[in-house]
Amino acid sequence: MNASSMNSENTTRLGLRDRVHEFFFAEETPFGLALLRIAISIACLLVTVPRWIYTRELYSLDGAPAPLADSYGFFDLLPIPSGSVAVALMTLLTFACFTACIGWCTRLSMVIAAVLYTYLNLLDSLSTMTKYSVITSHVLFLLSVSQCGAVWSVDSWLRRRRLGLPRPRSLADFPKFAAWPRRLTQILIGVVYFGASLTKMHTPAYFSGDQLLHWMMTNVNNANPIGEWMTLFPQMLVLFAYIGIVWEVLFLFLSWSGWGRLCMLSLGVLFHFMTTLTLGLYLFPITCIAIYFSFLNSDDVVHLAARWRRFQRGTGKAWSIRFAAVSAWPRAAWPSFDALLPSGRRLSPTLSVGFFGLVAMGVTVGAVEIEYRLDPYGTRRSDGPYALRELDPDRVKQMFAGDQKLREYDKYLAFDLGTDMFGGMVTSQKETFRHGETIIAQCTLSPPHEDMWVECNLHDANNVLLDRVGQVVVRSQLRGNFAYRACEALSPGGYFLVLKTGGQEITRRKIQIVEGACQAMAN
Amino acid sequence: MVRRWLTKLGITAYLGALLFGLIAHGANYHEGAHPSMYFIVWDMFCGWAAYENRTHIVGQGESGKFYELAPGPWGDYHPYGDISRQHYDSFNAYPHVMAMNTLKHTQHEPMTRLYVVEECWAKKYNLPEHVWKRRYSEPKLPFSYYRLRTEMTGDGKVIRSASPWLGFQTNLTIADNPRLMADISRGQPMFAIQPTSSTIPSPETIDAAQDPASSIPSPLGN
Repeated sequence: MNASSMNSENTTRLGLRDRVHEFFFAEETPFGLALLRIAISIACLLVTVPRWIYTRELYSLDGAPAPLADSYGFFDLLPIPSGSVAVALMTLLTFACFTACIGWCTRLSMVIAAVLYTYLNLLDSLSTMTKYSVITSHVLFLLSVSQCGAVWSVDSWLRRRRLGLPRPRSLADFPKFAAWPRRLTQILIGVVYFGASLTKMHTPAYFSGDQLLHWMMTNVNNANPIGEWMTLFPQMLVLFAYIGIVWEVLFLFLSWSGWGRLCMLSLGVLFHFMTTLTLGLYLFPITCIAIYFSFLNSDDVVHLAARWRRFQRGTGKAWSIRFAAVSAWPRAAWPSFDALLPSGRRLSPTLSVGFFGLVAMGVTVGAVEIEYRLDPYGTRRSDGPYALRELDPDRVKQMFAGDQKLREYDKYLAFDLGTDMFGGMVTSQKETFRHGETIIAQCTLSPPHEDMWVECNLHDANNVLLDRVGQVVVRSQLRGNFAYRACEALSPGGYFLVLKTGGQEITRRKIQIVEGACQAMAN
Repeated sequence: MVRRWLTKLGITAYLGALLFGLIAHGANYHEGAHPSMYFIVWDMFCGWAAYENRTHIVGQGESGKFYELAPGPWGDYHPYGDISRQHYDSFNAYPHVMAMNTLKHTQHEPMTRLYVVEECWAKKYNLPEHVWKRRYSEPKLPFSYYRLRTEMTGDGKVIRSASPWLGFQTNLTIADNPRLMADISRGQPMFAIQPTSSTIPSPETIDAAQDPASSIPSPLGN
């Protein structure tokens, strides 16, 4: 190897190292992380506030905790707190989420939130610990080691006040820090999507649309009326499934800058919005979309601020007037908030933390007392503890009737008729066919089912059997397709296609055959 | 300098953990080795079933009457939508904890037995009436299947357990093969020595003979 090639190789290596260094350690103002801090704190509050009253039941020895570690065979991995301690911890977590949101003692708030959120989630694997809460734990952890409270926070306001600094007017007035916490958050969401795509690759039913179809038929996440309606068009789900997995694979590689970033993030927002409509997911989309703020850099904020000013100067004037009532509110409230700190007084960081501790303690103790008085189990009621609800004897009889084999009708999911197929499913569903057209009848079965003999028989309007066709649908198959040629031997008029399994008629569809060119009838 | 060095170490460790999670998930390597794997394996929506299931936890008093033990009489908790918490216990791991919590905080006659009953129905019956009418030509007549999963003493000790309903039905479809069943009956396992003799016997299984394996219900993706 000659000297020049060695030199060239050395330069390339240095270049790569420099680029990696620049990627993680470039100085920037953490606007994106500040927005992420606010959004993820709100997402946490959406979890903690409604569940606060159930804390004793979900996370304490005085309830029915379900530690995640038990499922892995690691019993007693984490200590389970008593009822009052659990309430105190949940209250402190809620308080920390709120203070993190407004950016007061941000680092401390984030540390408290990251530790308590993860700890309490680990105690309830049934209803609290899910993948969105794991992602949230990662984000809280990354934010706790970031400078996300350096802008748009109470901390930054106190700092400016303490140092006697004016309000920042340009990007240069804001503090700058290394970008690595933001970069790790970006990589995190990319890895999450990539991991999710691996899951889908492991699930053949994802590509056939069957998995999505059945997720849309359940309210196990939340109500999803649009998803239920979309089950009428299963072929669309195949298309969405492929688009979804391609996006998930590409996100990690294309979401860094330019059009790639715009496309990946836009598709991401659309994807998560659709999971809300079709699957009833709420917190998962909120969490993931909140993380998209980490893709916002200083230049984007400057660019958006300039656009906002242009908008205000131009067409936005009318909107600005309407918006004034809302935007004026914090300005109106500001003097009274400002008055909390008399002019000339400077709240030092130590004093701020002390005040934070006092408020946290007061809120926590007060909440424990309130929870005690609310008596969630009703054990201190004047009537004494609640009595158990007796079950209806007929219901009990049903429950203990013993195991039953699956009914033939329950093995059947759908019977679709059409003339074309897409993604293994019948499209252009219809009931009227012209002479010469191929009628595709597709029987969809629900798993599990044994190897089945499935018949799709043609009956005339008087229910006389004209043609009997059957095929074996083995247990690993979910669909059986039958092709009929609507030929002139079938005079125009009404017919029935009758689906039979196990010797029983399962369902029938009425079809109309109208005049047209004829070819031989075939199956 | 030390701080910068520690930062680089932290970044490397974090990225390494994420990468290990991806590899473990992609290659199915030690995915369930430790609870911490739950934090780095991204297996959302990994399963699905054509049947909806619900978990009923009931107690039988000395009088012979049956009582609902979940949700407790003080109020129901719905983690998502309108479905109670006990229905999210896919692995039937915590019914005794929920039952004992309810018994602890209520007044009741002494319990002789506690039961966990699984109820299942085809998910197609979840479809609203207007969608059903467009999809099916016959009226909607929902039907539920029930299966006794666990029987416990009055103080929550498991004395009998059974596989999930879905696993049971899957095994019935496999058993629907005379040649296979004949082969199985000819090849019953036989041990000259008892390889598990040093372990504590597990609780009696209701249908051990007909349930060689059970499918794992799909975990939640939310």
